[in-house]
Amino acid sequence: MTDTPLPDGPPTENSVSLRLANGPLAAPVLGRVVSMVLARADCPMDRLDDALIVCDTLSAHAPAYASDGHLTFTVATSTREIELRVCELAAQGAVKLLADAAVPGVGNVLERLSDELQIEQAGDDGSRESLILTLRFG
Amino acid sequence: MTPATTTPDMELALPARAANIAVVRHAFGALGEAFAIDQQILANIRLAVTEACTNVIVHAYRDGNEGSLEVLATLLKEKLIVVVRDQGPGIAPRADSPGLGLGLPLIASLTESVLLGRDDDDRTEVRMTFPLSPARA
Repeated sequence: MTDTPLPDGPPTENSVSLRLANGPLAAPVLGRVVSMVLARADCPMDRLDDALIVCDTLSAHAPAYASDGHLTFTVATSTREIELRVCELAAQGAVKLLADAAVPGVGNVLERLSDELQIEQAGDDGSRESLILTLRFG
Repeated sequence: MTPATTTPDMELALPARAANIAVVRHAFGALGEAFAIDQQILANIRLAVTEACTNVIVHAYRDGNEGSLEVLATLLKEKLIVVVRDQGPGIAPRADSPGLGLGLPLIASLTESVLLGRDDDDRTEVRMTFPLSPARA
């Protein structure tokens, strides 16, 4: 097993870090972990449903931009919001992932369901990106 | 403990608290679904992983500080390797243990092999190997 730590260090009080091989694991594992974390945070059903649509969208499109054959997520909740990070994307991967979420006639799923979207550069040369989505509830 | 070189298919890092055992169990449920693991074998895997995680929560951080729980799963041909890690002082007999002491024997009975030890970063780990073929389970 590799001993590379997950990118954001030790988990904080209400957070889960998740690294998954690029493949069939991403959608089911991410969805179940996020739903468990949100259920514990007393997230209302409508926002839980929104979060699962976000997870499905990320699982569908993020594999194309994974930088090392793995997808890395962190999920952190407070009493009023969930922050979902897609970490270690390739350069421009976050922008492209966001663009891929556009659905004709509906708009951009990630933009419509998230209250806040950010892109962070990582790595010394900025060769890695994170897409950070915040969904608020309560 | 001899390190394997394969990158895990699934790696979870979360605070070592009882509520998070459910998160781990659900993650393994999804892993079983994705890899079409036999239901009985998956039940054994989830039970053994639950026991290993419970050991971390009950025994690893007795000083009151909350530490981390890491769970790694790697699919290798007809086997699933699961490693449960913590940053506690290690596995040792405990006279004041609140449990019955059945956790490790139960894990041993559900796995093909189980290794207890410390990794290169001095973290305590339980390394479990599960056969995925029903005939060998």
